[in-house]
Amino acid sequence: MTQHGNRTSQTAVNLTKLLVRVENDHDLLCEIIGIFKEEFPRVLQSLQQSVAREDMKNVEATSHALKGMLSELSVTRAAWIASRLEQLARAREMSRLVYTLKLLEAEVEGLLPELDAYSEEAKS
Amino acid sequence: MKVLIADDDTISRRLLEKTLTREGYDVTAVDNGRSALRQLSLPDAPRLALIDWMMPELDGPGVCMGVRKQHDRPYTHIVLVTSRRSKQDIVAGLESGADDYLTKPWDPAELTARLRVGQRILQLEDRLVEARETMRFKATHDHLTSLFNRGVIVDLLARELSRTRRESGCTVVMLGDLDHFKNVNDAYGHIVGDEVLREVARRILGSIRSYDFVGRYGGEEFLIVLNNCDSTQAIVRAEEVRNRIANDPVKTIRGPLSVTMSLGVLASQDWDLRLVEEILGEADSALYQAKAYGRNCVKLAAPTTSADRISS
Repeated sequence: MTQHGNRTSQTAVNLTKLLVRVENDHDLLCEIIGIFKEEFPRVLQSLQQSVAREDMKNVEATSHALKGMLSELSVTRAAWIASRLEQLARAREMSRLVYTLKLLEAEVEGLLPELDAYSEEAKS
Repeated sequence: MKVLIADDDTISRRLLEKTLTREGYDVTAVDNGRSALRQLSLPDAPRLALIDWMMPELDGPGVCMGVRKQHDRPYTHIVLVTSRRSKQDIVAGLESGADDYLTKPWDPAELTARLRVGQRILQLEDRLVEARETMRFKATHDHLTSLFNRGVIVDLLARELSRTRRESGCTVVMLGDLDHFKNVNDAYGHIVGDEVLREVARRILGSIRSYDFVGRYGGEEFLIVLNNCDSTQAIVRAEEVRNRIANDPVKTIRGPLSVTMSLGVLASQDWDLRLVEEILGEADSALYQAKAYGRNCVKLAAPTTSADRISS
């Protein structure tokens, strides 16, 4: 995992920051990627359903949870969008919520395969 | 050192756990506020805590407030960990009882540095508590025998007397004085005299119950206060004290020395509504009788009537 510095501009994950967070512990990196892969789809789905139901309280809670998970993995842009969703839910701005959710969905589209690649590289 | 992590985010919790374990901390991790408060309320609970702000059941500020309500515990240093960054949030977090604030995503080096600050504060607090306890002990105990000093034992007697009156119980007061103690000091010196006083104190403590009190009343005088004890038992208990002192010579640097004690004893049930000073005066009179009777004996104070007291 020596070329990661060149990949941050095209990728969702800031791998340089992430490796600092795990203190360059590749086993820990694999472990938290595993946790993320398990939890992220469930939380994202809960957020999508809450937006569809216009359940602002739950949108706020799930977008906060997503923001935390994404921040921990240094998925910076997606974390920022999740933070924006949280603010919009708190402000009850439903009209912009749907659009912002779409932005988030687009941002995280390639995230899981990207994380898989890091995980494989860390194991090798 | 033990540290508690409370965070409902599994990744965050795992990262904190790993970083702190690597730093040598003994980590307990929970995923909600209520469990955090329960952990921090246990005996021997962690005294360092990293608490996430938003958690199910009870949030971080709620945990801080719960911990701060527990006044009779050693201090817990709490760091709130959160992605909230506004000044209002920081103020609200600190006002709830947090000591420090760390924003997510945290940096491992900053996290461990802040915990070291917390440890230094806790160590300082421990030293202050220890110093306060030492001062408290010195202010309340006799420096030679480590028994209660005169002021404290008399206060304890007053407290016990009012309690037993309230509960219609009985307190026994024993005033003991070592016989011919001046001769010990004169013949063997004050170092030996001090050895004798320390050993006598130890023997008295060994012959009373854990909930009775004993103090050094004067030079070689000791005041013993027995709870829930009547005049019949009083004599038996006083004889136990006397025998324990008289039966074995005290080992000193100048060889074994035989010492004896005379005791004046009084049971409060026979002396209702008397002031502490009067009670002590009566115990002293009984002690005087024991001395006059030949020493190394116990005398029970006989109650005087109101008429006696008026005429005297």
